[in-house]
Amino acid sequence: MDGVLHTNQHSIGQQAGSDTQLLPLRPASQVMQLERLGSFHQSRLSFMRTLVRRMVSENWQITSPVFDLDEQGYGTVVYQVEAKYGTFSYVLFSHYLDPDNRNDRVIANQWDLTMALCEGTVDAKQLEFLRNNVPKQEAGRVDSRVLVLSRANRSARTFDYVVDELTAGRQPCIDVIAEVGYLYRTTAAYGSGKLGMADWEKVRTKHRDFARPFAAEMFTCFMLRHFSMQQADYLAAQRSPQTATVLHKEIKRYIGIGNSTGLGMAPFLINHPLLINQWIEMRETALARVVAASEVGVDEATLTRLEAATQRVIQHLGEIVTADERQNNSNTAVREELQLIHQWLQEQGQVLASNHYVWADLIQYAEQSCRIETQEVLNTLLIELYPELVDGLEELMGVEESMQVMPEMPVAQLQQIIEEKYDWALAIDFSQYESMGAFWYRSQEKMEPRLGQTNIDMGMEKEMPLAIGRRVRECYDLLCAYNQTYPQQNVAHFIIQSPTYSGIVSRIQTMAQSQYGEIRENLVHSDVLPIHLLRCKLSFFGVSKFDPRSRLWVRNTMFQGAPLISDFGKPFVDDWQFPIKPVLTST
Amino acid sequence: MKVSKNELMASLKKAFEGLGFQPGDYYDAADMVVWLETHGFDGFDRLQAALAYLNTTAPNHAVLVQEDEHNAVLDGEDSSILLCGSEAVDLLVAQVMQGSVAGLQLNNCYNRTFIMQRLVKAAQRNIAFIAYWRQEDYCVKVSVAAGAKLPEYSTFAMTEILEPQSLSIFAGTDLEVIAEQFAAQLVMGPLLETYTEAEMTACYLDSLEQGIEIDEALWQMLEDLVTRILVESTESSRAGAGD
Repeated sequence: MDGVLHTNQHSIGQQAGSDTQLLPLRPASQVMQLERLGSFHQSRLSFMRTLVRRMVSENWQITSPVFDLDEQGYGTVVYQVEAKYGTFSYVLFSHYLDPDNRNDRVIANQWDLTMALCEGTVDAKQLEFLRNNVPKQEAGRVDSRVLVLSRANRSARTFDYVVDELTAGRQPCIDVIAEVGYLYRTTAAYGSGKLGMADWEKVRTKHRDFARPFAAEMFTCFMLRHFSMQQADYLAAQRSPQTATVLHKEIKRYIGIGNSTGLGMAPFLINHPLLINQWIEMRETALARVVAASEVGVDEATLTRLEAATQRVIQHLGEIVTADERQNNSNTAVREELQLIHQWLQEQGQVLASNHYVWADLIQYAEQSCRIETQEVLNTLLIELYPELVDGLEELMGVEESMQVMPEMPVAQLQQIIEEKYDWALAIDFSQYESMGAFWYRSQEKMEPRLGQTNIDMGMEKEMPLAIGRRVRECYDLLCAYNQTYPQQNVAHFIIQSPTYSGIVSRIQTMAQSQYGEIRENLVHSDVLPIHLLRCKLSFFGVSKFDPRSRLWVRNTMFQGAPLISDFGKPFVDDWQFPIKPVLTST
Repeated sequence: MKVSKNELMASLKKAFEGLGFQPGDYYDAADMVVWLETHGFDGFDRLQAALAYLNTTAPNHAVLVQEDEHNAVLDGEDSSILLCGSEAVDLLVAQVMQGSVAGLQLNNCYNRTFIMQRLVKAAQRNIAFIAYWRQEDYCVKVSVAAGAKLPEYSTFAMTEILEPQSLSIFAGTDLEVIAEQFAAQLVMGPLLETYTEAEMTACYLDSLEQGIEIDEALWQMLEDLVTRILVESTESSRAGAGD
């Protein structure tokens, strides 16, 4: 047994399903580096993937009892969703939007589409209530019958083009679709009780269909995708009933939903370390199970699937169009390195069938020869090979988040925990200006999180407490001094003396019991790259085609390549990750 | 108007941050308010009473006055339980983890009903608590069995003159042990009222299903406090959001 398995310190047992043997997991010192987190890709455990598997296998029935659009495509649509355990309504309002007012930022106040996912059916009175509030988004109020509130803007590059082509009886050029990937971009999907909506606790306990993290939010985006193509077909038919055609099914599957994600998502990862720990632990468990599955080698069919998947990623990355030089260079390098991996597999040949822990060897090869992004692509591909080992983990992606002080702990023990678990924080030299060169704050504009430059931007005194490493350092210094004076005392007494540190103490003590969760990076360094935080969370959502617009926000696509509603209930191979241009067979 | 629990938590955390609370404190304080309100203990009324004080003073914690193996006295220095409740319960827990029982008196503190949430949370570590305090002309007694999710809440007639702003808490492995060890200090007058677990549960489930009713003026007051932590938006700051 070689490579990655030897270096691991951690293991997981009964918690992750039926494992009775302890599986070695990668150490947090490797996994929780910000650059690596920012290199994660969609996996079988991503929320879009698990939602799609559920909808298809359970054959959710989706109809549109209200489809009241005018010839411009503006109006109201209500989709009724019969899921396995309940009925839901997806209510959508389509509005005229002056192109000059089309803005993806959170501070926007008008959108092409606004939507709400509601429990049960919607009567005329509730529909009117929603009509008066949903289009206002943050400026409106909804109630606990609403699970998710969202909005979307048309793509200026594709929507009109696609409608024009369909109107003329032609299919849109696949290269144009490939360049963008969607007809609409969602700019927010709010859930978890915001603006009066149902609490996550209610969703989790009452609505089993959406009782996984972000399942309702992902469904809202999936339905937006469905509407976007239905609207394009509808508009073409309205404009020219004689000549119009409808989108080819393969093109429809290739069309996703665009997404713009900015700094608003970043604090989530810092403020929910137990949830992040759970997500990453499940992903790492999946990888460890896959490695363990190669104990006695891998069969020819599995190798063939890996080679095909590798070629698919190479094509996928080659089809991404982004103006971001860093991302472009990365995509190019990853493609080249995936070719190296392909060659490695070829060179190993028949030996792979009988080698012990083949995947450990392959992972080790990648770690020695490839950049981090390629390593994580490979890990994702390996996880894809074994659905039977991985998919059950999807039920373990949630966790109850509660931090608690353990006041009886001797201060010397807390000091030791910091030295062991937060060595990364103690290694940061906060006396350097760059180490505190940035700060996070909330803007008056919709409380949007922003990143400021220390001593240049206003608001340092209202800094958000996201500098975990710095706070740990401060706590540690105080603790050392306290421990020298009162070596026999416990944490309760330390907190009475330094009460403003109770928050970081409870975090340290709570997180010390988990493996992952703390991002090992100084998030207030001048050169911090918040985009890595966004990408990490987005990978768990299941997005693809990352298109960074700066170091602070990123465009991407959701559900590109996913099945359509018309595919529900039919035989389904869950392999729509890393979408590539379709080859059209027939209309 | 109605708000969700998550929304209320988020608003309270930021409002308390606006009052100068530190991260640990504003999480705990928000938890206390939400728990009381969603379990039928007039959390919002008590919050308004607390805000009248908190809005005029800097955040203030309790200080340790006296301590031996099984007993401790803290001086709340006229602070709110929202600020000093956690450290009091933490100290008690630390003591009980080293022995079998412990008692603590917290003097000069306000908004004592909020302590219930801290006791329920600490009880999840398999520790039982009994707390009592004087409320106007009667006595409130709260018991939380080890591991219990809900407390027993009763009011009694007073049998002795209690300090008007003090809070007594006893902890042990179970309620019987506490009652036995601290029998002399737990003599209550005739029972006046009991608020049952069923009532608390019904209130909580209703708040989850329907949302939590909050007075718009109080909601606005919280929003106003939240503005204290927001930074004015400028063209330059918009660049810090990704433009």
